[in-house]
Amino acid sequence: MKAQLLELETRALKEIDAIAEFSELEAFRIRYLGKKGQLTRFVKQIGRLAPEERPAMGKLANRIKKELSDRFEQAKAALDSPKAGGRASLMDLTLPGRAPVRGHLHPISRVIQEVCRIFSRMGFRVVKGPNVELDYYNFEALNIPRDHPARDMQDTFYITDNIVLRTHTSPMQVRVMESQKPPVSIIAPGKVYRRDSDVSHTPMFHQVEGLLVDKGVTFGDLKGTLASFVHQMFGNETPLRFRPSFFPFTEPSAEVDIRCVMCKGTGCRTCSHTGWLEILGSGMVDPEVYRFVDYDPDVYSGFAFGMGIERIAMLKYGIDDIQLFFKNDMRFLRQF
Amino acid sequence: MKTTLSWLKEYVDIDMSAHELAHILTMTGLEVEGMEPVGRFLDDIIVGKIEEVRPHPRAERLSICTVDAGSQKVKVACGAPNVAPGVLAPLILPAGRLPNGTLIEEIRIRGELSTGMLLAEDEIGLTDDHSGIMMLDPGPAPGERLTAVLGFPDWVFDIAITPNRPDCASVIGIAREIAVATGRTLRIPDAHMDETGPPIQELTSVTILDPEACPRYAAGVIQEVTPGPSPFWMRYRLHHSEVRSINNLVDVTNYVMLEMGQPLHAFDYDRLRENRIVVRRAREGESFTTLDGQTRTMSRENLMICDGQRPVALAGIMGGLNSEIFANTRHVLIESACFDPVTIRRGSKRLGLSTEASYRFERGADIGGAGLALKRALSLMSRLSGGKVAKGLIDNYPRPWTPPHIRFRTEHANRILGASLSQTAVKGFLEALGMDVRQTDDHELMVLPPSFRVDISREVDLIEEVARCYGFDRIPLTYPTIRPSEQGDAAEVFFHEQVGSIMTGLGFSEVITYSFISSDAVDVLRADKESPIRSVVRLMNPLTIDQSVLRTSLIPGLMAAVKTNVAHDQKGLRLFEWGKTFFQKAGDQLPLETIWIAAVMAGRFQEKTWYQEERKCDYYDIKGAAEALLNGIGLNDMRFQKEEAHPGYDREVFAGIYCAERRIGRIGRIDSDVMAAYDLKDEDAYLFELDIASILTLLSRTTQFQPFPRFPAVLRDLSLIVDRQIESARILDIIRREGGDFLESVRIFDLYEGKKLGTSQKAIAFRICYRSAHETLEGEQVNRLHEAIIEKIHQETGGRLREG
Ligand SMILES: [Zn+2]
Repeated sequence: MKAQLLELETRALKEIDAIAEFSELEAFRIRYLGKKGQLTRFVKQIGRLAPEERPAMGKLANRIKKELSDRFEQAKAALDSPKAGGRASLMDLTLPGRAPVRGHLHPISRVIQEVCRIFSRMGFRVVKGPNVELDYYNFEALNIPRDHPARDMQDTFYITDNIVLRTHTSPMQVRVMESQKPPVSIIAPGKVYRRDSDVSHTPMFHQVEGLLVDKGVTFGDLKGTLASFVHQMFGNETPLRFRPSFFPFTEPSAEVDIRCVMCKGTGCRTCSHTGWLEILGSGMVDPEVYRFVDYDPDVYSGFAFGMGIERIAMLKYGIDDIQLFFKNDMRFLRQF
Repeated sequence: MKTTLSWLKEYVDIDMSAHELAHILTMTGLEVEGMEPVGRFLDDIIVGKIEEVRPHPRAERLSICTVDAGSQKVKVACGAPNVAPGVLAPLILPAGRLPNGTLIEEIRIRGELSTGMLLAEDEIGLTDDHSGIMMLDPGPAPGERLTAVLGFPDWVFDIAITPNRPDCASVIGIAREIAVATGRTLRIPDAHMDETGPPIQELTSVTILDPEACPRYAAGVIQEVTPGPSPFWMRYRLHHSEVRSINNLVDVTNYVMLEMGQPLHAFDYDRLRENRIVVRRAREGESFTTLDGQTRTMSRENLMICDGQRPVALAGIMGGLNSEIFANTRHVLIESACFDPVTIRRGSKRLGLSTEASYRFERGADIGGAGLALKRALSLMSRLSGGKVAKGLIDNYPRPWTPPHIRFRTEHANRILGASLSQTAVKGFLEALGMDVRQTDDHELMVLPPSFRVDISREVDLIEEVARCYGFDRIPLTYPTIRPSEQGDAAEVFFHEQVGSIMTGLGFSEVITYSFISSDAVDVLRADKESPIRSVVRLMNPLTIDQSVLRTSLIPGLMAAVKTNVAHDQKGLRLFEWGKTFFQKAGDQLPLETIWIAAVMAGRFQEKTWYQEERKCDYYDIKGAAEALLNGIGLNDMRFQKEEAHPGYDREVFAGIYCAERRIGRIGRIDSDVMAAYDLKDEDAYLFELDIASILTLLSRTTQFQPFPRFPAVLRDLSLIVDRQIESARILDIIRREGGDFLESVRIFDLYEGKKLGTSQKAIAFRICYRSAHETLEGEQVNRLHEAIIEKIHQETGGRLREG
């Protein structure tokens, strides 16, 4: 039996040296060390030997078993390279990993998420509303009556005489105020539509609206809140300015400009050589709007603001063509 | 509104640079959108004095002028009709460059040497006049630089006028804002004139039949005018304000409109029948030819200016061809009126005709300023055309303007602004703006705005003015305490983010496509007549036919995105969109807006790499993605049920997706005809669409923790041969049903459909995990259960154990 065992050992060691594939290695393990393997069969027979022979044979069998197990582990480790065939030292650690395919979020979604996060952290809550809107919410209740020149500021898509594709996210101001009492602190992201299509306009684009109405809200609060937003969005050092403007539903109204991100204020094409870029419109809610939602303008005050997401995305990522946002070209999307 | 720096300087002292001025204007709310220098690149141009003119011996149209250029005398060939001895004109000598870059050289024209060039106004960019050489006013010496003579450089500002500030659609209006911002005095121009004609009452009359639409109509008459070109200074200003010069009569009306903001109209007095004016509503269907030569049909919405017999102008919009000034006009009647903004806007919209005049009247003209503008026009016209002004004016003013009386509470203003302005400061600002400010007590003012400020009628309007004058920049930044709104945190917003991160993790990229699609896109999807996707919402005024209806399906947008990318040779596409569909509802109701997440896969699923072979995507790839997404957001136990295909999908490869007996979406292959319609004949695309609202209703439950099992599991494999018609889900249902409480999980681990089994059968292998929550299952117990399941499957599906 001893001879048989030693013969088995020699044969097994010879075999394992020649093994170059995992499958063969596994077959080797089963052949010798498995439940019905050759070595295991010998071990089972040891119990049937005469008692005085047992210790020596047992010792021998154990030594061979350990030897084969060790060699098996070594061979396995050696074969553990990316593609079977090499020794561990030859394993190419620079081969590309088995990579799952990665998708990309649209840059507009990314910017909307970022804007919403900034305002959420300040305490604003996010609301959504319909894309197709009543003339009442889109215009009337925002102090833009029919036959008012302010309607020319926004070229409108009409569904019927009373139904439009919303031209801005501002209708959400009225919808929210109409359904609840102050405090109101909301932002409303979404799609908006204007009948305008050329190099710098797309008929659909995105805005985020904001509204804060409570007791004692001031124009200074508007400035502080929006300055804080600009600094989180464009960096703490970004200079900004508030410039008088006109919106029918706010008064006083202010456009917010930031120092041109392209030229840092020296003047370039992006900023029409002014050194400043308009990024949002804002103002104190006009008392006329409170009249539509039954708020008392002597008790409550507040501010509203709105920004174009495409514009912010273009400035942030240095995109020079607004049409790219809706072409959905992977060569564009893959960059975000 | 465009104007030049030199024109503004006529009304207010400006001693800062053009750029500083632009900044000040922008910060007072008059945004300078652009500014351009006039008279750049004029350095090579000098004043030349023509001394002698003789005809070119061999060219009929040319003259040879001897010109004094200061340092030398040169001979210049010139084709202009207005060359004459003594004329001063811009001259450029050889080696000089014109503003457009042209290099001037000495040339021989038909044998005669020409040393330099006499220039017309358009050649130096001053106006668009090319009727002859520019004639300079007497004074400058030959050889002087033209820029010095003209006081250049000058600047053109392009200023954005917000709809609330029609008063700033005028040079004086802008100058007034500059005066307020810089603490200077505004100079109102002189309107003095000699009234040497007969009394106006003997010449004409004005009758207003609709005083609501025309609250004021003033008119003046000027006789024996000599029509001719306007002087350079006027043409220069008109040109840079983008108004075309016509003659010294029409130009005056346009000039005063730009200067004061009051639109004027000049009629040929002799062509007014009965020499009088009547203001009335148009008759329905009345036709009228405006001075642009277009004959238009009127309605009651249009207000007409008529003479004794017929309409002669579209009030506040455009004059008529029948009463227009022409080369032989002798007497002129000038209109300076005020019209109701809404009437003008409706009339202008109805006719699709918008003019400088209608633009101003729609926003509100200065009713109090109509008289001064008229006098200014008469004064200028008599100066330029030599006419005699009739004595007096007609001023028919049936609705005299009274200023609003506005209570102003300084404390309230400070409360809104977050400032601490004193009442004295406020008073100063408002007075500078031309308001009549009366002190009521220590806390209140009574403010009467001037008539040109049509935008001011309420306290808040004054608060804005005060803030503007004080400077927005000086109001300190503060940070409000933001109390939470009752409404907010729309579930879909956060869900969108979650879905976005799962989908990108699964390799899908987000697209955003237009909400509108082509009206025939639903035909392309092969929707039948009754299909709900045909109840589209139509735009009344689409930009193009391709964007004329709101989408009832995300498929057209996604397919267009696939097409774009396939055209750019992108091999394996995985795209998703989060977007809305719109379904028409009856009557004047808003359409039904439904949010979807839709994902499409097309082409290659995986590319060839060192560890895998290339493979195209198929139904199970998109299904796997749908399942991963649904599991990821917390839904399990979805059912995919083969049913009649939704428009756009392949009839054979389409399933409804159900969860908790609710239909939450659909999945399948895109129909090959649809693929062909998007030029994707050789591709396969797979799609799923999930209805976000129905998913959100299923997500209301919070996840409940399940304790770990305390007893061991028993695994059993089950390999079956069944008819190929039998769906795996049916067998799984039987296993789950029969396994009851002891069935922990089951999965399909093998599938064989091939030659060995013939075409009608398939082999499926299941791995079932049995476990009890209360005890260790005995082998016998499990065997009995397992056998029972096999038996049930056999009974219900005919499936049998696969041997071996
Ligand atoms: Zn710049």
